[in-house]
Amino acid sequence: MTSRPEYYTPQPYDPYAEDEPQGGWFNSEGYVPRRPQAHDAHEGYVPRQPQAYDAHEGYVPRQPQVYDVPEGYDYDPRTYPYQQLDDQPTFALRTVTQPAEPAEPGYHVPDTPEVGWDMAASRRRAWVSRAVLLFVLAVQAVLSLRLSNTAFQDEALYLAAGHAELQHLLHGTPLPVDYAAYFSGSPQLYPVLAAVIDGRFGLTGARLLSLAFMLGTTTLLYSFTRRLFNERAALAGAALFAVVQSTVVMGYFATYDAAAVFLLALATWIVVRTDRAPVGAVLLAAPVAVLAVGVKYAAGLYLPTIVVLALLTGWPHKGGRAFWRMLLLALGIGALLAAGMYATDLLAGVRQTTTDRDHGSDGAAFLLQRSAEWGGLMFLAAAGGAISYVRRSRMNESPLAQRLGNPGWRWRALLGLVLCGTALLAPAYQVHLGTVVSLFKHVGFGLLFAAPMAGVGVTRLIGAHFRYPQLGIMLWTATLCLGISQADWRFGVWPDSSRMIQVIDSHVNREGHYLASTPEVPVYYLREKTSQRQWQGAFAMEYTDKKGRHHSGDAGYRAAVRDGEYDLIVLDGLTNPRVDAVVADAVTGNPHYRLLADLPFRNSSGTGHYRIWTKAS
Amino acid sequence: MQLKKRFRAGCAALVCCLAGVLALGGCSLLGDDSGGPARSGAGAAPHSGASADPAIPYDVTPLLKPEKKYFGAAVPGAPNSMKNVDVYTKTVGKQPNLVEYYAGWGDGFDATGVRNAWAEGALTLMSWEPFDTPVADIAAGRSDEYIEEYATAVRRLNLPVVIDFADEFNGHWEKWGTNHVTPAQYVAAWRHIHRTFVDAGATNVIWAWSPNIVNPVRNVRLEPYYPGDAYVDWVGLIGYFTAGEDNAFDSVFGPTRDQIRTFTKKPVLLLETAAMPGERRRADIRNLFAGVEADDDMLGFVWFDHKKRADWRLEASPLALKEFKRLAADDRFGFDVRKPS
Repeated sequence: MTSRPEYYTPQPYDPYAEDEPQGGWFNSEGYVPRRPQAHDAHEGYVPRQPQAYDAHEGYVPRQPQVYDVPEGYDYDPRTYPYQQLDDQPTFALRTVTQPAEPAEPGYHVPDTPEVGWDMAASRRRAWVSRAVLLFVLAVQAVLSLRLSNTAFQDEALYLAAGHAELQHLLHGTPLPVDYAAYFSGSPQLYPVLAAVIDGRFGLTGARLLSLAFMLGTTTLLYSFTRRLFNERAALAGAALFAVVQSTVVMGYFATYDAAAVFLLALATWIVVRTDRAPVGAVLLAAPVAVLAVGVKYAAGLYLPTIVVLALLTGWPHKGGRAFWRMLLLALGIGALLAAGMYATDLLAGVRQTTTDRDHGSDGAAFLLQRSAEWGGLMFLAAAGGAISYVRRSRMNESPLAQRLGNPGWRWRALLGLVLCGTALLAPAYQVHLGTVVSLFKHVGFGLLFAAPMAGVGVTRLIGAHFRYPQLGIMLWTATLCLGISQADWRFGVWPDSSRMIQVIDSHVNREGHYLASTPEVPVYYLREKTSQRQWQGAFAMEYTDKKGRHHSGDAGYRAAVRDGEYDLIVLDGLTNPRVDAVVADAVTGNPHYRLLADLPFRNSSGTGHYRIWTKAS
Repeated sequence: MQLKKRFRAGCAALVCCLAGVLALGGCSLLGDDSGGPARSGAGAAPHSGASADPAIPYDVTPLLKPEKKYFGAAVPGAPNSMKNVDVYTKTVGKQPNLVEYYAGWGDGFDATGVRNAWAEGALTLMSWEPFDTPVADIAAGRSDEYIEEYATAVRRLNLPVVIDFADEFNGHWEKWGTNHVTPAQYVAAWRHIHRTFVDAGATNVIWAWSPNIVNPVRNVRLEPYYPGDAYVDWVGLIGYFTAGEDNAFDSVFGPTRDQIRTFTKKPVLLLETAAMPGERRRADIRNLFAGVEADDDMLGFVWFDHKKRADWRLEASPLALKEFKRLAADDRFGFDVRKPS
């Protein structure tokens, strides 16, 4: 006997061995003995016998026992003619020689490892998880691509600005307005890039650029989550992130959000990826992070998270030197930001659109409710993951994982806090500003950071060995359903402007002066025929009449319409309903205007009308 | 072996991806039918000309003041039956591009007639006459249901239509004339009808305000009857060259035109005109063509080719008809309203 557990190990068996007791336990008449005795046991063909089988090597058949004889209702002595209850066994007739000691086998049974699989990364695992990631990306792409509508006013504004900036850069054409003064991102970065794509491939091309950015973001998210935790958490995190409203919409929305979130993801990826590299390597993330802020100023809100991540990711490998890593990154980013602000005149735009933005009137409860609807489920998964991660660090079923050096609970708690807390930054800031504008996009920015923890949450929900996959599937499906419906709703908020554009196309030229609820849209679509300077919007009005009297606000609209200032008036009744009502009232009974078209549309909130008046000659 | 395995794994992953993509893509394919009426071009009116998309309201702007003159006719039965228009065309040698008909207040909208005329390149002018409904009632909104239904039908047709309401309002001979209706009531009714049409989105209507020429009723001032430029596209004059009057163009239409020019600059159409049969007819016709041609603000004329009170039909005077034919051949008269420019 060995010290190994007592289990049966098969041994080679030679059925032609000389000492094989042919018909050993068959009696001369060939029927099965009823009760084999202990001395039947010998080398070779051994009847099953509880007392003896351990002692013998060789093939052990299951010996039919007496009690195997069917005794039930179908027992028929005619079927078992020999199976008499008082049959006696017949023993072998010749003497069995004592078998020789078995020779050492010519092979070696290796020691069974403690676990039957390898924890370490393997090529197969990498390919499997990449295939799953590919599927996640395909789902994300399909969700984004199924959205359709004409350009939203922000998209139209940035693309039109991009075209103007491009003309300015290439041919020195003066800009119609100083975009830098009121844009929430640099007009020289994303808008120019998008305009180049738009000029070549149209709005769809510009939107596909955003899709590429968002797919890149999901991929980077997968990559750094894998580095932080493992493939499973990475895939789960990426799968959740890929289907939330913000990701789906930003992936088909030609604004600088997709580019900014991609750059943030890239900066984070660099920080995580260089955790074991020399401290200085973290500086690679600085220009990327600063570029993200340049593309969209609000991205600056997430820089502290990236800086703290530099500390946290470095800590397990570098200990105290990770502080240097953090400091270096903070200094690098700070220096580049300072240089950027010094070199450009963007600060005014930053102030107006981001930091000193006009406070809105949306209540905190409303904003929090909206944030919860748009990112709550994923945030809950992340919070659950963070708590679970603090309680237990082990990320692998393998018992070996227990013995790995895991970072302490404080580190884990800090990581969870930083990642989940980042998701709360945008809602908190928007509550401070009191505006729901762009909230859905900013929720998405935060979810990028919460996604790794959400991935951990999902793996914990599913449990070790995929014990409760249905829970993970349920969570993902719920997120997917919410994401699809919210994204569809979001993309239907603004009316399809194609018919409006078609109607006004023949009524605009280089000289006219036009009033529109959303001038950005016709400015973009009719950029070959008109310039932004010819269009007046519904938000700010300064008008000086022919007698030199100055009017502003509602009085300005009334006076301008009364004087027949505009050659075309396009109201949608959505963008600024109050001003639309003022203008519509001023147009009623106005001898200068004739209703050109009344175009009903259907949007997410129901139905509405484009009303278009043209100046009667 | 290794390669084969990897290939199989790759294939499996690809199949999974495709299945997922198709499953999700299905949603979008199914959801695409909400693309709005812009894409559902199946019901496009066959003769809608410039606007192929029925969801785009017909833009009547180019028809408001076209470069060439309208060459119109009012013939019995048209435009519901274009037979008489075709006869008229054969008689005068030119296809009219404006066909007038008369409808009573309460009649349904003759969309078929408008379509018939459009198919031959002609605009329809409907003279809407409130025989049995007091104008004050219309102004007070008692006919709103009818107007709304009418306006919806006009919008749905999506072809341009000229409407004049209660023509010759300045005459005492009509039921809606000066003996029965005050200027304020008339203006209120006009504005009310116009507003109802605009609210229904029927922007394809050209509104022609149609007084009789002031010559027989010089004491009735027109301005109080004018609803305002916001409610009117054309001024439609009704006046005939009659016997026993000075028949110079300016004598017939001049006083009215001059009075109208004091309060509006809207272009003028001779919405109903003809010349008394007789020896002077030839000269009248010459005056008519010359007068319309001479004035840039004159949009054209509609010849009243009926035998009503007098025989206004052109065929009644062969010599005058010959002259009419000769003058109508001028390229400045008539154009295909489906391609105004």
